[in-house]
Amino acid sequence: MRFSLKIFIYLALLILLVICTAYVSILDSKVTNKLDGALWTVPAKVYARPLELAEGGRIHLDILKKELDILSYEKTKESPELPGEYSFTGNSISIYVRGFEKQKPSLFSLKFKEGKIESIKRKDGILIDLIQLEPLSIGGMYPIHLQDRILLNFSQVPEDLKEMILVVEDRDFFDHRGISLKSIARAFIKNTKSMGIQEGGSTITQQLAKSLFFSPEQTIRRKIKEALAAILIEIHYSKEEILLAYINDVFIAQSGKRAIHGFGLASQFFFGTTLKNLEIDQKALLVGMLKGPSLYSPVKNPKKAKERRNLVLTLLRNDFLLTQEEYVKFINKPIKAISPTYKSLSKYPSFNDLVTMDLKKNFKDRDLRTKGLKIITNLDPVIQNLLEDSVKETVLVLQKKYGDKLQDLEGAAIVIDSFSGEIKAVVGSTDPKTYGFNRSINALRPIGSLIKPFIYLSALQQFGKYNLSSLLDDSKLSVPLSGGQLWEPNNFDKKFHGMIPLHVALSESYNVATTRLGLDLGYSSVQKTFTELGIEKEISEYPSVFLGAFEMTPIEVIQAYQTIASGGFYSPLKAIRKVNSSDNKLFFSYPSKPEQRFRSEPIFLLKFILKQTFLRGTARGFPLKVIERWNTGGKTGTSDDQRDSWFVGYAGDYLMLVWLGFDDNRKSLLTGRSGALQVWKKFMSTLDPQASEVRKPSRIKYEWVDHGDGLLSGEKCKGSLLIPFISGTEPTFLPDNRKKCRINEESYASKVVKKIKEAVQERQ
Amino acid sequence: MKISKTHFIFLVFVCFFVSCASVSKKQTSFYDIEIQKFSSEIKLLLNDLDFLKSEVLKVNAKRPSIQRILLEADDYWRKGNLNQTNSVLERGLRIAKDESALYLRLAHLRIEQGLDKEASAFASRGLFNKDASAWELLLLKIYSEEN
Repeated sequence: MRFSLKIFIYLALLILLVICTAYVSILDSKVTNKLDGALWTVPAKVYARPLELAEGGRIHLDILKKELDILSYEKTKESPELPGEYSFTGNSISIYVRGFEKQKPSLFSLKFKEGKIESIKRKDGILIDLIQLEPLSIGGMYPIHLQDRILLNFSQVPEDLKEMILVVEDRDFFDHRGISLKSIARAFIKNTKSMGIQEGGSTITQQLAKSLFFSPEQTIRRKIKEALAAILIEIHYSKEEILLAYINDVFIAQSGKRAIHGFGLASQFFFGTTLKNLEIDQKALLVGMLKGPSLYSPVKNPKKAKERRNLVLTLLRNDFLLTQEEYVKFINKPIKAISPTYKSLSKYPSFNDLVTMDLKKNFKDRDLRTKGLKIITNLDPVIQNLLEDSVKETVLVLQKKYGDKLQDLEGAAIVIDSFSGEIKAVVGSTDPKTYGFNRSINALRPIGSLIKPFIYLSALQQFGKYNLSSLLDDSKLSVPLSGGQLWEPNNFDKKFHGMIPLHVALSESYNVATTRLGLDLGYSSVQKTFTELGIEKEISEYPSVFLGAFEMTPIEVIQAYQTIASGGFYSPLKAIRKVNSSDNKLFFSYPSKPEQRFRSEPIFLLKFILKQTFLRGTARGFPLKVIERWNTGGKTGTSDDQRDSWFVGYAGDYLMLVWLGFDDNRKSLLTGRSGALQVWKKFMSTLDPQASEVRKPSRIKYEWVDHGDGLLSGEKCKGSLLIPFISGTEPTFLPDNRKKCRINEESYASKVVKKIKEAVQERQ
Repeated sequence: MKISKTHFIFLVFVCFFVSCASVSKKQTSFYDIEIQKFSSEIKLLLNDLDFLKSEVLKVNAKRPSIQRILLEADDYWRKGNLNQTNSVLERGLRIAKDESALYLRLAHLRIEQGLDKEASAFASRGLFNKDASAWELLLLKIYSEEN
């Protein structure tokens, strides 16, 4: 009996030993896997474009101030002393930039003159030519557990931060082997005296083990597991490696569903800069928060955060890590953390949709959620905010004007760089901050008159047959359809206008003349132009297609207009600029891919007409000076029964498209002019882009022609207009009654100057 | 008022300098005439890409900020890092759209990358620059003809 009991005990002990060994080896494998980085996931981060400030560069001071506000820079009365501060006086602004890529944190003074940066000076007065502001963080590709961090290596962690952590969290860190009996005894005595939990005896290694593997519950069983894992960590890793893992992994804050881990991200999250740029008091604040991230949050509880920070500073002074003067200086500093706008998960849902779409073409989902990639997009946050405001405010004004009938009016708008096709801003709803149906990429709508420039471009390419003064027939038209029926298009004003010049037919958006032109050109010719413009759809062979009975999404329409706005150069639209690896090396690039799809001459002629839309057509009402400064052009569009209100127009380097309408396709009462154009107008009037001067194509010449019959005319003749032609295609017939007014009377002085010029040219 | 000998010599000098200035003007107008007429010569030049590249790399920017960017791009180019070269040049283009030096480099870079249509597009776009010099226009024309 005694023998069998002995065997039983031995057997039980053996089984226990096997279980313990198995458990320890599983735990050991977990520890090494996690700490070797295999399980440490660093999600990709998405950034807006960094703002470049170049000497001589054009930027309004107001726009720069908006950018600084978005980046949570703090305005100071005195000269800025810390990264993230700025001050301005008159036409100068001083910015202490936070640093990004090769741009080091430093103080710069910028002087403005006539909407341009006149000079950029460093703190020491040396003139420099280019600085870069750090880009706004606009979201990330988070893993399922939603932990976010920036991994640091040992050299990126300031020495004083390491000392601070050890003083506050684990003084005996370099003396113990994972667990510290001394700390446990000290905590036990203190907790017994106070009859509660006043102090934890956990070492940094235990805290790391807890953070990596266990839930925050306080049980004896979990404490034992934690201690075991701590011992295993100490066996496998050096003290430096353990401290670095702690610095990268410790939980510091919560932002919505996103958990902020590690000092690297915490520094960006609370101060908008890297750890190396932080002052002692800022580091002390972060170290102080370890005890209670929510309780000592500088955003939620600035008073408690200050008390805790000052306690950390006191400990540092007591350990002679701070002098008395430094201590006094730092404890008197106010608590400053950047506003929450900097750290939202994804500020711009519609733009984020485009980024995700682009990323999925080139990256695996797992890579995006684990490799710590940095995705630099083309989003311009100032333009994005302005676009959102323009859509929201205009819709409110329209709702006020038209009442209940526009109650659920929806909208979409996109702004791009005309030449490069870079997407600067996107709005997919009248409530742009919410996720949901993104109309900018998904709303398939009839485009109405926005189709007309494509048809006229087809005509202008046949420059032997059509020029701007070619006469088109805008009289009643009946087109027999396949079922024996007749289709009779009408103009918006319900009138027919007889024979009219081509440029008038488009700038006034006449339907009948356009249908005749389309039928004359033929479907295949128009389809060819569509394809060259980047429209991938086939057009149906029925005449109403020439009036816009053709469905496209806003992003497809703006792609087609990009080719026109840029002078004939097709560039695929792109939301992403480049993807950097976690160590800031170029990992994947999205280069521009321009392709000249049209000769510059027909595009120049078409753009002349699109400018007429602003001068005397459906977008009239802008001051001439503004039209010239923006070098603008555009087209309104209204679909059947006013179900869709469109406007697309370029100004300076920007091309912008707006759509307004209802999701259920009901009548909106709005035309392109009364609806979408108003959003465009509000946006561009605030942005006020300046167009740079460009050379006209060498084969273009101007000629005075009559507005009505398109024949030659003169500057002094009534109803005449100076319009461009491709050399050799201009009209040649000059009616007798215009011969006199075509000859311009010159002053005596101008005749003398002309004679002198001729004489000089002859001598040369 | 009598004209002295000194005054006469001074006038002769003034006339000489004025005529010099007008001669240089005439050289500019030489390039401004229809460049298509030189198509055969252009085709010859195109065959010598090394010569073209050396000429392109000599073209400087007008703005100091862009010149700095060109130096950085040229450095990557020398090291054979074409993606990074492109990234830096496109950064320059975002800062200033009227620098011929950028369009020329991007055009040649695209040829090295085997993207002839893009090379031609960059050069053709560069031809719109109002401030491009005659030599820059000629080079841009060569690349725009490549397609």
